[in-house]
Amino acid sequence: MRVKLIYSHDVVEKPILASIVLKTGVPINILEAKVNAQKGELIVSIPATGDKLREVLNLFREAGVQVQEFTETLRIDWDKCMACGACISPCPTGALKFKDDWSIEFDDEKCVACKVCVTACPVRAISLP
Amino acid sequence: MREENKEIRIRSIDEINEKIKRGDAVVLTAEEVIKLAESSGVEAVAKEVDVVTTGTFGAMCSSGVFLNFGHSDPPIKMVRCWLNDVPVYKGLAAVDGYLGATSISETRGLEYGGGHVIEDLVSGKEVVLRAESYGTDCYPRRHIETVITIDDLNQAILVNPRNCYQRYEAATNSSDRILYTYMGTLLPNYGNVTFSGAGQLNPLCKDPSYETIGFGTKIFLGGGVGYIIGEGTQHNPEPGYGTLMVKGDLKQMNSRYLRGASFYRYGPTLYIGIGIPIPIINMSVAKTVALRDEDIFVNIRDYAVPSRPDLRPIIKRVSYAELRSGKVYLGDRKVPSSSLSSYKMAREIAETLKKWILEGMFFLTKPIEPLPKRGKFKPLEIRRKEPKVGDIMNRHVIIAKPNDDVNSVAAKLVEKGIDHLPVVDDEGKLIGIVTSWDLAKAIAYNKRRLDEIMTRRVITAFENESIDVVVRRMAQHNISGVPVVDAMNRVIGILTTDDISRKIVGGRNVT
Ligand code: SF4
Ligand code: SF4
Repeated sequence: MRVKLIYSHDVVEKPILASIVLKTGVPINILEAKVNAQKGELIVSIPATGDKLREVLNLFREAGVQVQEFTETLRIDWDKCMACGACISPCPTGALKFKDDWSIEFDDEKCVACKVCVTACPVRAISLP
Repeated sequence: MREENKEIRIRSIDEINEKIKRGDAVVLTAEEVIKLAESSGVEAVAKEVDVVTTGTFGAMCSSGVFLNFGHSDPPIKMVRCWLNDVPVYKGLAAVDGYLGATSISETRGLEYGGGHVIEDLVSGKEVVLRAESYGTDCYPRRHIETVITIDDLNQAILVNPRNCYQRYEAATNSSDRILYTYMGTLLPNYGNVTFSGAGQLNPLCKDPSYETIGFGTKIFLGGGVGYIIGEGTQHNPEPGYGTLMVKGDLKQMNSRYLRGASFYRYGPTLYIGIGIPIPIINMSVAKTVALRDEDIFVNIRDYAVPSRPDLRPIIKRVSYAELRSGKVYLGDRKVPSSSLSSYKMAREIAETLKKWILEGMFFLTKPIEPLPKRGKFKPLEIRRKEPKVGDIMNRHVIIAKPNDDVNSVAAKLVEKGIDHLPVVDDEGKLIGIVTSWDLAKAIAYNKRRLDEIMTRRVITAFENESIDVVVRRMAQHNISGVPVVDAMNRVIGILTTDDISRKIVGGRNVT
């Protein structure tokens, strides 16, 4: 799951993410980071579900980090999509691929929200809020 | 004896049309005929099949539409004209124009262009027509602004100078930055391979010696009926890169098969669906219609090299089968590959054309002239003198050594009035660069030696490079100067944006 972590001034310099990774063993992946001395914002993907996911999110909250869950993921407008494939090979995680009938399949779980496919699509059928 | 005459005729186009009329023609798509040839051999294809349908659906930049707007009252001789702010070519009679697929919107930039206007017209949307003139005795009006749909146009005729490439070279990127090209998004360090063309479904690949495809061949074009009106521009059949010029009535077409598109940072284009029926008139056509992706080869070229297409280095020769598998081996690395053209749509077009023929709605035409078997595809030679880096660069370059003292170097920069200082080793080879800004920072933070502050990954240029290429490189890296090096990485000059603006004035002349 993808979440936005907002670090306030008080906690921005603490190694919270690293210690949570060590404690839970969940290899959290940083997708985007904006950090300065006052504030930090990280977009991360947490490859966990159920209790494990809840544990990770709670640890962040206990450490004083504000957690915002992304409910929206990548959206493909299937009426616009012409199944060209221009989005497939640029995707770094293999989240987009051809089905047997040469239409497109998107695997939400693999997507790390890098947005490369958004500009790669020649008919702008892909958006990411 | 001419080669064509050696072929034993199996059936004529007239005979096939008779069968279509009677409803007993045997029509297979290119994919179906491959299966038949694999199971029963080419003889079975020759014996049993009358027509094979093909299809392709890809970006075809050399496309556009002739439009006739009709006369307003009072009338105008349109000199400049726009549809949805996209310029229409107006070097024609008063109310005729040509809208090219890659024409760029003056208000929405690269995201919207001629291809999108064509799609909007075909889907029946309202489009804003604007035109200007100087006014004449016969055409007094000087401005016009109104809204039109495709139904208001007298004619809308798609005439595409180059469509339906027989095959197209694939692309990759050796550089360390992402490239946005007409071959799509190319990731750094050979991160992916993109390709175009339907391979085993591609019309010209199925009749590569043009025995049945020629001037006047009736085709599926954009969901309607069209005709081949000759070979396309850059038609280059000998190495297998033939092209077609086609025309058709836009008013009969369907926006499912004509899609405005835009390649990010490249610009607009038009995706077009084309399908060509191939009559099995002789044994040689029976053989070529059964060619598979495994039998059709193209080169993968490196788009990181800013040269013309045929000079970009060839990384590998691959078959469409390998490209379409989704992985291509470059050396011992497996690199993801994907198409830019739609195989799914190409299939749908071959199926649709098959259906048209089976239902007796589409008859085949005999070409009145074959396509030329030879082509011309020469590069453009530049006959005017054009400045190269070596003509503009400053050869009296001031350099420094890595252990030089920051303060004395700063003094040197001020004294000579320069901003960029290449740092070289004892053999004169470039190992870093220092700018006046770096030096100011170094002094503020109390650093002493140049090698503590210099930038080690230096952007450079070669003496024989074109100025435009180097200007683009500087803009991309947001820098104002580059050391010029020789093949041994020895510094032989320096080129700054100041040199360029000072020495290239007005046109392109070196003063
Ligand atoms: S956002 Fe990135 S990871 Fe997700 S599908 Fe697009 S290219 Fe792949
Ligand atoms: S690039 Fe766009 S149109 Fe092409 S397959 Fe991907 S989503 Fe569909």
